[in-house]
Amino acid sequence: MKNYIISTASAIILSGVMLSGAFAAEVKSIAILTPEEGTDYGWNQQGVDGAKAAAKAAGIEAIVAQGLGYGDVRPTLRELAEGGASLMIAHASGYNTAAPEIAEETGVPVAIVDNPSAMKKGLVADYTLSGHEGAYLAGRMAAMMSRTKAVGIVVSGEPPSWNSQSAAFAQGVKAENPDVKVIYAVIGPAAYSDAAGGKRVTESVIAAGADIIFGQGNGSSFGMLQAVETTKATDGGKVYFIDVIGDKSPIDKGYLLSSVIWNIEPVYAAMIEDLKNDTFGTKSYSIGLADDSLKLLKTPQIPDDVWAKVQTLREDVISGAIKVEPIFEATQVRALMSDVKE
Amino acid sequence: MSDLFTNVFLSALLFGAVTAAVPLLLAGLGEQMSEKSGVLNIGIEGMMLMGAYTGFLGAYLTNSLWFGFLTGAVGGLLVSCIMVILCVRHGLNQIVIGIGLTLGCEGLTALLHHFQFSRTYPRLPAADPTVIPILSDIPVIGPAFFKQHLLVYIAVLLVFVATFIYRRTQLGLNLQAAGDKPAALDVSGVDVFRTRAFAVLATGTLAGLGGAYMANIGAGIFVPFITNGAGFLGIVLAMLARGRPVWVLIGAMVFGICLSLTTALQVAGINIPTDLIQMIPFLAVMAMLIMFGRRSTLPAALGIPYERGAR
Repeated sequence: MKNYIISTASAIILSGVMLSGAFAAEVKSIAILTPEEGTDYGWNQQGVDGAKAAAKAAGIEAIVAQGLGYGDVRPTLRELAEGGASLMIAHASGYNTAAPEIAEETGVPVAIVDNPSAMKKGLVADYTLSGHEGAYLAGRMAAMMSRTKAVGIVVSGEPPSWNSQSAAFAQGVKAENPDVKVIYAVIGPAAYSDAAGGKRVTESVIAAGADIIFGQGNGSSFGMLQAVETTKATDGGKVYFIDVIGDKSPIDKGYLLSSVIWNIEPVYAAMIEDLKNDTFGTKSYSIGLADDSLKLLKTPQIPDDVWAKVQTLREDVISGAIKVEPIFEATQVRALMSDVKE
Repeated sequence: MSDLFTNVFLSALLFGAVTAAVPLLLAGLGEQMSEKSGVLNIGIEGMMLMGAYTGFLGAYLTNSLWFGFLTGAVGGLLVSCIMVILCVRHGLNQIVIGIGLTLGCEGLTALLHHFQFSRTYPRLPAADPTVIPILSDIPVIGPAFFKQHLLVYIAVLLVFVATFIYRRTQLGLNLQAAGDKPAALDVSGVDVFRTRAFAVLATGTLAGLGGAYMANIGAGIFVPFITNGAGFLGIVLAMLARGRPVWVLIGAMVFGICLSLTTALQVAGINIPTDLIQMIPFLAVMAMLIMFGRRSTLPAALGIPYERGAR
């Protein structure tokens, strides 16, 4: 009888251990795929750095497949899946069709951007992030500092993440000074690496009067930066650049005013946890000012009094005294620009 | 809205149109020569990309834009040598090799950029323009068309050089025959392979120069995939222009002006979908060239490898 009780208890304990192991997915490695090199001081670098940091914190391996371009990444996804990746992060909106297909085909979970409707429990998660709170602060700051009373927004596409920042930037400008014009221009339908286009469009926006450019692009943002560095504003003075996502300070020549910096590590860390807890693909992720996953870069070009005002505004946004709602639809963004201009 | 459309703004738009048009013009002229000789050069995007990289590298290392243009042309030329060996000499499929060359150049230039520039992203200083007296003082048009870099004027001059070659020289006739009836050219004692090789090498040189212009003047920086399909647009322009260099120029300029028009419409705050606005350049070029260029035809032997004695 005693042996029977011991063996039964052992069996129950062993079953419990095995079952818990079966329910909690084992996460051994995460892979991230980026269209450009993870050294662009922007979207790609923040993604790669975030994935590495999250993997390190979780004690797992990070696999980086970078510079894949904007074409078909199915072969790379299959290779990574066959290589044993527990999660594949498809870090480009252009990958959000191929990645869910490969997830279905291989059974390896994927994380995509800009397509929340593709979410599927255990298989596909979306991390369409919005830096609208930071962009709003950037807009307030730009309106405070513009000499020509005109600021520009130049984007190399209209994915939801950038739309929300464009809209919030314009709202911030108008909230600070309704007399400041907001000039909005898109380089191309998906001109993410079009540095020449970025320079050309930014030069036109500067010629239209803007002396501060809020630029959103991957490789094309270097063209915007080049335009800012080589073109004078209509008042003959310097033009400044506000970047997004990354920190271009190391390559700045004195024209970088600020940047809406994203820290994506908490998002990837949450995904790893969700995989372990079997909740992957059931929730959305966000970044914000409150936990510093979103912040505005302080550069020497920002006067101390302006920075102090911006910090006060930051507290107001965090406390909810100022409400900034994200706008993801391109049509709404453009309508907002028209309204803002008039 | 009207206060936005100042002379300075309109000049900047036209200046941008010219800057966008020049790489397309150079690539289009090159592709046109290749197609005239019977070689469909799909690899021109890769040649442009290599030219952009080597052109930027040359200019950055020597602080000389002209040296950069030279290295850019050489970069494109080297890639076109592969096309000559595989497609002209060995008669392999021109489309497959062209795609392979483009993909290879995308990968190689991205890799080289990664090792050399991906931490520093060096930028070139603004290029000094060549100012044409009197004409450059014309409001709006003057600063846009007559305060450009010297290479812009050379690119326009090349249109007339190409026209002269095609219409008035033996070389032009040989190129035409190599594309239309290569066997007849062969019978007349002219080496078809050599004629086609010359055309492909010229294409690579011009495409490389276009890429170098794009990186050194258009952007002032090299980033991976910078050409963003400009080479393919050059193919479209060459095919629609159907053998007439001046139509390549007109098509490239229409494309550039329409690109600037899209910026103008957006800056004016016209609230229609950006995707629609950005279709304008493509639609305009196709409509114009189909309407006015339809009488000319593409070479009969385009894309067909020449094999001596084959029936």
